Amino acid sequence: MNDKTDVWQGTLALMVLKTLETMGALHGYGIARRIEQTSGDVLQVNYGTLYPALLKLEQEGYISAEWGVSDNNRKAKFYALTRAGRKKLALETRQWEQTTAIIARFLFPDRQAS
Amino acid sequence: MTRTSLPRTLRAFFVRLGGVFAGHAQDREMAAEFESHLQMEIDDNLRAGMTPAEARRQALLKTGGLALAQENYRARRGLPFIGTLLGDLQYAGRLLRRSPGFTFVAVLSLALGIGANTAIFTIINAVMLRSLPVEDPSRLVQIKRGDSPILTNPIWEQIRDRQQAFSGVLAYADTKFDLADGGESQFAHGIWASGDFFRVLGVAPAAGRMFSAYDDRRGAPALAVLSYDFWQRRYGGDSNAIGKTIRLNRVPFQIVGVAAPWFKGLDVDHAFDVAIPLANEPLLHADFSMLDARSAWWLRVLGRLRPGESIAQASERMRLLSPAISENTVPANWEPKDRTEYLKSVYKLSPAAGGFSQTGRQYRTALLTLMAIVGLVLLIACANVANLLLARASAREREFAVRLALGASRMRVVRQLLTESLLLSVLGALGGFLLALSGSRALIRLISTAADPLAIDLSPDWRVFGFTIAAALFTALLFGLAPALRATQMELEQSLKENARGAVAGSSRFNLGKALIAGQVALSLVLLIAAGLFVGTLRNLLTVDTGFVRQNVVVVNVDAGHAALPKPQRIAAYTQMLERLRNVNGVAAAASSMIVPLSGSAWDSYVHAEGYTSTTPADLDVFLNRVSPGYFRTMRTPLLRGRDFNEHDDSHSPRVMILSESTARHFFGSQNPVGKTAAIEEPDVKPAPLYEIIGVVKDAKYAEVDEPRRWTGFVASGQDPDPFSTISFEVRSQLPAERLIPSLRTAISHVSPAASLEFKNLEVDVNDTLLRPRVVALLAAAFGLLALVLAMVGLYGVTSYSVARRKGEIGIRMALGEQRQSVTWLMLRDVFLLLVLGLMIGLGAALAAGRLVASLLYGIQPNDPLRLSAAMLVLAVATAVAAYLPARRAARLDPMTALREE
Repeated sequence: MNDKTDVWQGTLALMVLKTLETMGALHGYGIARRIEQTSGDVLQVNYGTLYPALLKLEQEGYISAEWGVSDNNRKAKFYALTRAGRKKLALETRQWEQTTAIIARFLFPDRQAS
Repeated sequence: MTRTSLPRTLRAFFVRLGGVFAGHAQDREMAAEFESHLQMEIDDNLRAGMTPAEARRQALLKTGGLALAQENYRARRGLPFIGTLLGDLQYAGRLLRRSPGFTFVAVLSLALGIGANTAIFTIINAVMLRSLPVEDPSRLVQIKRGDSPILTNPIWEQIRDRQQAFSGVLAYADTKFDLADGGESQFAHGIWASGDFFRVLGVAPAAGRMFSAYDDRRGAPALAVLSYDFWQRRYGGDSNAIGKTIRLNRVPFQIVGVAAPWFKGLDVDHAFDVAIPLANEPLLHADFSMLDARSAWWLRVLGRLRPGESIAQASERMRLLSPAISENTVPANWEPKDRTEYLKSVYKLSPAAGGFSQTGRQYRTALLTLMAIVGLVLLIACANVANLLLARASAREREFAVRLALGASRMRVVRQLLTESLLLSVLGALGGFLLALSGSRALIRLISTAADPLAIDLSPDWRVFGFTIAAALFTALLFGLAPALRATQMELEQSLKENARGAVAGSSRFNLGKALIAGQVALSLVLLIAAGLFVGTLRNLLTVDTGFVRQNVVVVNVDAGHAALPKPQRIAAYTQMLERLRNVNGVAAAASSMIVPLSGSAWDSYVHAEGYTSTTPADLDVFLNRVSPGYFRTMRTPLLRGRDFNEHDDSHSPRVMILSESTARHFFGSQNPVGKTAAIEEPDVKPAPLYEIIGVVKDAKYAEVDEPRRWTGFVASGQDPDPFSTISFEVRSQLPAERLIPSLRTAISHVSPAASLEFKNLEVDVNDTLLRPRVVALLAAAFGLLALVLAMVGLYGVTSYSVARRKGEIGIRMALGEQRQSVTWLMLRDVFLLLVLGLMIGLGAALAAGRLVASLLYGIQPNDPLRLSAAMLVLAVATAVAAYLPARRAARLDPMTALREE
């Protein structure tokens, strides 16, 4: 367990939005799983961080929640992107790209591509 | 990275605000969601081949602590701060309900304290702070000549014609218009206003039109604009009123319009009824128009700053214009020295956004003093509540100890205690606000007189609300913080053990309480001394020898109308009226005068007495009155030398004059003044006419009861070269005024049927001039008494409490044979020390503060030793009694009972 990193605060929201865009409506467990898998099991998401983050996104109106039934027939709350959430994701993605590009240029000036 | 836009944050905030009230349903939903998460994890683990027990263990490890997750989730769902606050408030409310006696006393003292403060502040706000409700009031400035705020019409015309410095200028003056057409006068508040008055202030008509610069030209027809309230009151809001005529001082004016309802004029304590253009002034003052008079000071002049220009820039322009204005307006008949002085005048600007008020001018110091007094009362009330809270805190020591022991942080407990204080002060502020609504109105009624009712808009605005809220927060911190910090500063083990068994209770906890008591005594002393000074001032003013007897005198102000009674007939008509008044049944004496003493009117002139050479102009300045024969007998002013005026002193005989005693001594020393001569300067008459001194009367007050000594003289009404169409009669009679007035009216209408009359009671009018000291004395005494009672309650409470705490000690002492007196003394010793300490501090503070109110005192020094010691004595006795009662109870304790109770 020690070799796993807790997900960074702040990026979790972006990951959740992206996950929901890729996967469609999904329950909390599924979201956590997906994030862990995508990170190559480097990140770990426990529900102490995940659910407050989901609640925040819901309160801000970026995602909506509805009770439903999971694949293996368990009652679960399913989260889905709203229209505002899609816009937000696009915006955040662009900003993230920009930031990483800038940081990369700072850290590795010699690697600068054409 | 995830920056959230403001609307989203707001949306989240409101959702969370709703979440504060989340109930069990939401908690169940959260539990269900977490549970389903856990189950899916277990399902996966099982699928991966773990045993059921292992699958569950791993899942629990993976998902993290449930309790913490729930706590985080709850915190995110609502607003934790508000949630806790609501919880604290609920708890505080329960506690307060459980001790209704404490709650009642605390809330009542706070309500009285905050209410008194808000009431006085409401008035200060209305007359000193609030802006006029006109267009952009912050751009309005008043134009003054040096420091004199009142200007002449020639100066106004100069400013009007050179108004480059402003985007608009206006001039106005207050006046009274008599609406009656003869018979009893019926006065309306009037204003003379320049043509641009309404345009510059941005006042739109509610009906008809406002007058304009075009209407304000010499010889223009007579027009009037009504105020909305007056229109409603007198015409029932009838639009047919426009175009009708209204008679003001019996001159017809055509009503052209009604001002917007919100506009009450520029004086915040008197709403105007009728406005007429300045140029109409000669219609009402046919004998003495002020339009071209260069020394008739009657107009207030205001300007509106040009857009983007500062008051400093406009002042500079005005300064440059000053010499030209002065050059064109210098009074020709002034002494050369005064003229040179006049030519040097500089016109200055001052902000005029707040408007003008007589209340603000007259009551400024009084209001600020009252504000300070009620501030002290609030402090005393706070000290009382703080003491009550301290006592409660001691009783709740164990509760706090347990909370702290269970891991509550000290801040958390302090916050809980402060919430309780806040609840108390908010309840107090609510009560205080309601008290203030009626209190401020009652106060204004108190300073209104029948002759001069004040109409001040006292509706609370944001400043008043803000003040009350600030007072509530401030008092809550003031009385709550110290006890809360004190209560939570404890050795845990000590406290948990202490109450269990403590023969001698530590007295350390009580130092704060002691300081509070000493402070209360000091503040109360300041208030008692203030009350003593103001009550003493009032008594001095009421017993001042005015030099005449004001009781049983009816004053009749007669306006005969300058057209109805032409100048040459006036003296004869007034003599006839006087004859008829003297013949009315029950009239003991009657006389006429140009000026009614202490009415506030004045007429002064330079008098050059034979053989007297002046050092300063003030030595020549004599305040004059023109009176009929019998005036001194009617007013009961003793004639000390020579003779009174008589019917032979007329326009054909040599001019005669009577001086007051000290004026005669001032001009003639020990010589007999009778037979000497004096010249009275008159505008436009050179050389000044000579008068023969024929008598000397006792000194009498001229314009104000508390005026410093001034030189006064009298001339004969029979020798008036230029009699006005108005005159006043003083009628002395034992008959009640309402029985006398009808016959007086008949007597005058016999001579002049068209005259309009106003009847006044001299005693009431003179006493009304003492209204300010009366109100200040009344309120200071009331608040002083309140302070005394609060201090007594405080001391009583603290002593009782200390008796209760030291019961065990007292029991042991008595069981060991200590005398009752010595037990009483034991209880009182501390209190006396506090009392002495408090008295010393209070005395120092009172001496320091005394100088600030010196202008409100009359015939009394702020450090008057008699009054200081009287106040100290009263306070000492009262508080000693308050402390003695519980101390005596201590001495009466049965030692066995006391010890058993422990």
